[in-house]
Amino acid sequence: MRIFWLLFSYEWRHFRAAKGLVLLCALLLLTGLYGIYYGTTEMERQRQHLTTLPELSRRNVEELKVKFPGPADAGDIGYYHTTYAVHHPDAWAALSLGQRDINPYYVKLRLLGLQNQLYATDNTNPMKVLSGNFDLAFVLVYLFPLLIIALSFNLLSSEREEGILTLLLAQPVSPGVVVGAKLAFRLAVVLGLAWLLSVVGMLWAQVPLDGRVLTWLGLSTLYCLFWFGVALVITALQRTSAFNAVALLGVWLLLVVLVPSLLNLGVAAAHPVPQGIELTIKQREEIHAGWDRPKTQTMNRFFALYPQWRDTATIRERFVWRWYYAFQHLGDLAVAKQAAAYANGLQQRYDLVEKLNLLSPAINAQSSLNALAGTDLPTHLKFQRSATAYHDALRAFYYPFLFRKVEFTHADYAREPTHTFTSQPELSTALRGLGKLLLSVGVVFAAGLLLLRARPINPR
Amino acid sequence: MNYILEARDLRKEYPNKLALQGLNLQIEPGEVFCLLGQNGAGKSTTINLFLGFIAPTSGAAFVNGMEVAANPLKIKEHLAYIPENVMLYPHLTGLENLALFSSLAGFKYKEAELLDYLHHAGLPAEAVRRRVGTYSKGMRQKVGIAIAVAKHAKVLLLDEPTSGLDPKASNEFSQLLTQLSAEGTAVLMATHDIFRAKEVGTRVGIMREGELVDVRPTAALNAQELEQLYLTYMHN
Repeated sequence: MRIFWLLFSYEWRHFRAAKGLVLLCALLLLTGLYGIYYGTTEMERQRQHLTTLPELSRRNVEELKVKFPGPADAGDIGYYHTTYAVHHPDAWAALSLGQRDINPYYVKLRLLGLQNQLYATDNTNPMKVLSGNFDLAFVLVYLFPLLIIALSFNLLSSEREEGILTLLLAQPVSPGVVVGAKLAFRLAVVLGLAWLLSVVGMLWAQVPLDGRVLTWLGLSTLYCLFWFGVALVITALQRTSAFNAVALLGVWLLLVVLVPSLLNLGVAAAHPVPQGIELTIKQREEIHAGWDRPKTQTMNRFFALYPQWRDTATIRERFVWRWYYAFQHLGDLAVAKQAAAYANGLQQRYDLVEKLNLLSPAINAQSSLNALAGTDLPTHLKFQRSATAYHDALRAFYYPFLFRKVEFTHADYAREPTHTFTSQPELSTALRGLGKLLLSVGVVFAAGLLLLRARPINPR
Repeated sequence: MNYILEARDLRKEYPNKLALQGLNLQIEPGEVFCLLGQNGAGKSTTINLFLGFIAPTSGAAFVNGMEVAANPLKIKEHLAYIPENVMLYPHLTGLENLALFSSLAGFKYKEAELLDYLHHAGLPAEAVRRRVGTYSKGMRQKVGIAIAVAKHAKVLLLDEPTSGLDPKASNEFSQLLTQLSAEGTAVLMATHDIFRAKEVGTRVGIMREGELVDVRPTAALNAQELEQLYLTYMHN
């Protein structure tokens, strides 16, 4: 151990002398801080936005009270009244934004057909979406491996190329201890940075201090260890620094860019999902056709679903709200299969990626961090189901007014259901990811150690 | 007889080359054995096999009675090595490099002692606290000598150690070897320098194409005879 710590302490001196590496670490620290700033700012923006929604709802009610000063037809209220299904972020979302930038974090709802409202989102700059989120998870998953590569590509090769290794290994020093001390020092630098950024991020985002703190640290530690394991394998091949750099960057490109892209293509081919636009068009066509269809036909289809309203008066008027909402409702039912197929397809794609992400620890780490932060696809799908249930509750609230011809009074606004949904972490996914990362780390380190054993280090 | 260095039928074969064929060699404590031969004759291969840097294809190398392959770390406690071109950590000073390598060898010296080793190796006093990156090859060689001497090893393995040294420093190095030899240190030195071999060696061995073709005590030959012998083997 004495030799190990001696080499470890001299690694610090070598590191200090390599100004470029010190600068790179400083740069990554700043980048990580920016990632935390970006994530917390984005979450703050979303939270601010969400806090304005109840006020918007309240103003809308005030306007309706002016527009309909006395008891009103609930159909009018349902048509004009806007309410919101809101998806509150977990505090961890600031560290791993996941899909919160591409999926809507609130849905503006009226009593109309649900499906086109469910997928109506604010316009987003596609270039911004293309570049992805610059949050802490991005820095850890995509940029930290590059730092590890910069620190480790010449782990032994530089000393071999400079001729120092012959004198070093002429001492009673095990080559394994030399490699171990060098790796351990670099690991300390990288983990020090990763943990520092993580702790700063957690404090900045004010996350609750629960088991997720350890899970996050465990995920980032194992992910960094994986890349050090890759560096060990390449080092064990005992090639030149140039070869090592190209090989490590190749592995980075493969695991961080190519495998995820290929996986994306493969998964999309394996589980095709209906296009959202098809669903929207079909629903709109169904709803528009509702205007021309005989009212009895529409109402009979509706009563088949809601027999409790079958005894209500036959519609003879040119327009009544209950008929209008009935064909809106039937519009949703017409695309129910597609909507379910769309959600199931997304879930199946996600599940398949979860099974295959052992191929790319980068995907595994990213999805695990997203799961931990409650910003992954399953959480979004849960929110959609919650919004759907909320819309059902709105229908259940308004239909008695419509079908029993009860007037809607100002007091009824307060009885209208409201919605809230807060992300919950997908802890099982995160823990599964932790296990897979552990396996990946075991595989690369075993491969590296076996290679080192099979090919003793040649100092020349 | 206890040999400090011994090679038994030591053979090293590469896919396209036979680097060393059946070397048998015994070196006693206090002996200075000089290996002469052209480039590629097998001198450095012999030293690398004793250092355990490469594994023999067959046969065995022994240091202080221990087989190198079986005791790769233990044997290095008894060996000091000076390569043809001593390379050190360029951002550390000569003093710091000596401190590092001495510590790795298990010696914890005070600064005054380290300075003494560097002084005796011939490194100018003004250079000891300068970064090695600013050193000439000869100055690095002197730090390498200081590292080897400070290790107090039973065996010195030298691969063209005076390469890059000026004549005065080479001469001082020869004196140092003579002194270490008198103290019981065995030396195995690969060299092209016939006259240096004659000057410091107790025996010389001539290598050709991986084979030790002749071994003579230096006392039995003068420098010219040794040169003639060497050239004869080389031309044959």
